[in-house]
Amino acid sequence: MKTPTLKNCLRGILPAFLLILLAGLAYSTDHGVVQTYKNATAPFDNERQVNADLSLSIKSVRVAEKYQGGDFWTETRKDKIQRFSCSQCHNNEPVSVTQAAEIAHGEIVLVHGSETRPLSCYTCHSKDDRDFLVTEQGMKVDMDHVYQMCGQCHFRQKKDWAGGAHGKRISYWAGRRVVKNCTACHDPHSPRFEKRWPKTYSPPLSKSK
Amino acid sequence: MDPRKNKMTKKPEKSDSRQAKQCGRREFLKGAARAAALGGAAMLSGCGGGVLGSSEELSLRWKEYFKKNYRLMTQAERDATIRRLERLAKIKNGVNIQMNSTAPIDGVLFGYAFNVTRCEGYMECVAACVKENNLDRESHTQYIRIFEMEHGQMSPEVGNAKYFHQVPVEDHFYMGVQCFHCENAPCTKACPTRATWKEPDGIVVVDYDWCIGCRYCMAACPYYGRRFNWNAPQVPLKEMTKKQHYLGNRMRKKGQMEKCTFCVQRSREGRLPACVEACPTGARVFGNLLDPDSEIRFVLKHKKVFRWKEDLGTDPKFWYFID
Repeated sequence: MKTPTLKNCLRGILPAFLLILLAGLAYSTDHGVVQTYKNATAPFDNERQVNADLSLSIKSVRVAEKYQGGDFWTETRKDKIQRFSCSQCHNNEPVSVTQAAEIAHGEIVLVHGSETRPLSCYTCHSKDDRDFLVTEQGMKVDMDHVYQMCGQCHFRQKKDWAGGAHGKRISYWAGRRVVKNCTACHDPHSPRFEKRWPKTYSPPLSKSK
Repeated sequence: MDPRKNKMTKKPEKSDSRQAKQCGRREFLKGAARAAALGGAAMLSGCGGGVLGSSEELSLRWKEYFKKNYRLMTQAERDATIRRLERLAKIKNGVNIQMNSTAPIDGVLFGYAFNVTRCEGYMECVAACVKENNLDRESHTQYIRIFEMEHGQMSPEVGNAKYFHQVPVEDHFYMGVQCFHCENAPCTKACPTRATWKEPDGIVVVDYDWCIGCRYCMAACPYYGRRFNWNAPQVPLKEMTKKQHYLGNRMRKKGQMEKCTFCVQRSREGRLPACVEACPTGARVFGNLLDPDSEIRFVLKHKKVFRWKEDLGTDPKFWYFID
């Protein structure tokens, strides 16, 4: 009987090896959730598909930017500022308000901008029309559209916010996209989040009473 | 003195004390309780429900015991078991719950993204999850773990999940871990009773009543995403979330497995899971992977994302991303 030579062995192994390789390739391209979502390109009709009440009770305004080709909304700001409108007091007349000393913004702590070049009131607030903010280029910005103001410096965050990687959506993942405003989470005067105690804690996994 | 007479005088005393101890004794004598349930409703009402309860409760429990696996039930059978469970909750605890069995939405595959740069470790999500999902307060069951990690550390396995100090700490970042709802979920394959499976919208769920508590799934999960009820879950009635889903936050029993369900009772109605809604820093992104305009798709397309233990081939639908 003829003993199997090296050549014959290779001839047997090679097709098997090729078959495994091909199977592996086929498996890697057809499977997996990454491929699943990459294949899904058809638009999803939120309002029609999701059979639930998606209406929000909060007030919102349409953002003057586009989000992946569509509109999106942000919650209003002006109705949440306690003493809006500002022109009630700031109206080029002598201020004649009782307790003026207490309500003259003494509580505001301004920790914004670099240490060498901190921001001041008029970096953002308009000198001429106190109900508005004003950009570096002199454009008046409504307080409901404060993202236009913040986005001057924080353009990267603004881009993420418009897309959905920064900030947060309100209540629903489906339906009309309504997101939080910059100033809903960040205090514009000291925007960094404070150091504080966590809301809860995790106990050790093993019970040791 | 006549011993018989002595006995006679003692007897009434004994029976009096027995009657006074009726509630306590029933704990031990189930047979007596059953007789009481069938015989005297007055005795039962006096003790606020016995071990086995009223005949209505008995019949409901009997039917519950012989119901099918959730996946084999028709819609009518699902509605029937939900009505039974609602009624049982009313009888046992006097609480009105609204349970449903909302089906998955067509064209939806849920995905989740977690921003490790933004998370500050405030653990608001954990507290919201415990409340929403009626998790056991006694054993401090939590679906979400937040790991405090030093810069440069890559895996939560070396992080600290038991931190207790003011957060955030300098030179640290925070990484949340929960059930990742793997497309190729090892836990579902380990279950001997098929009590856990992946729904068409990608959520891995448990049919609590079909779980036998063997904890094979817990051992199979490489992420420690599942929790076991070592004791009967205790939830104060005031804090209980009344809006429940059959596969979601309904009350579990002792010896049953449970896990994060992406808040199935919320997400199938278009709402965000409780952890996403509670997050004060916006580190959590949730949405439909099959919708090209969704936020989750934006994150996957434009940010640097990674999945934990991706090499295991579990194919989780939970991505971490950095700014």
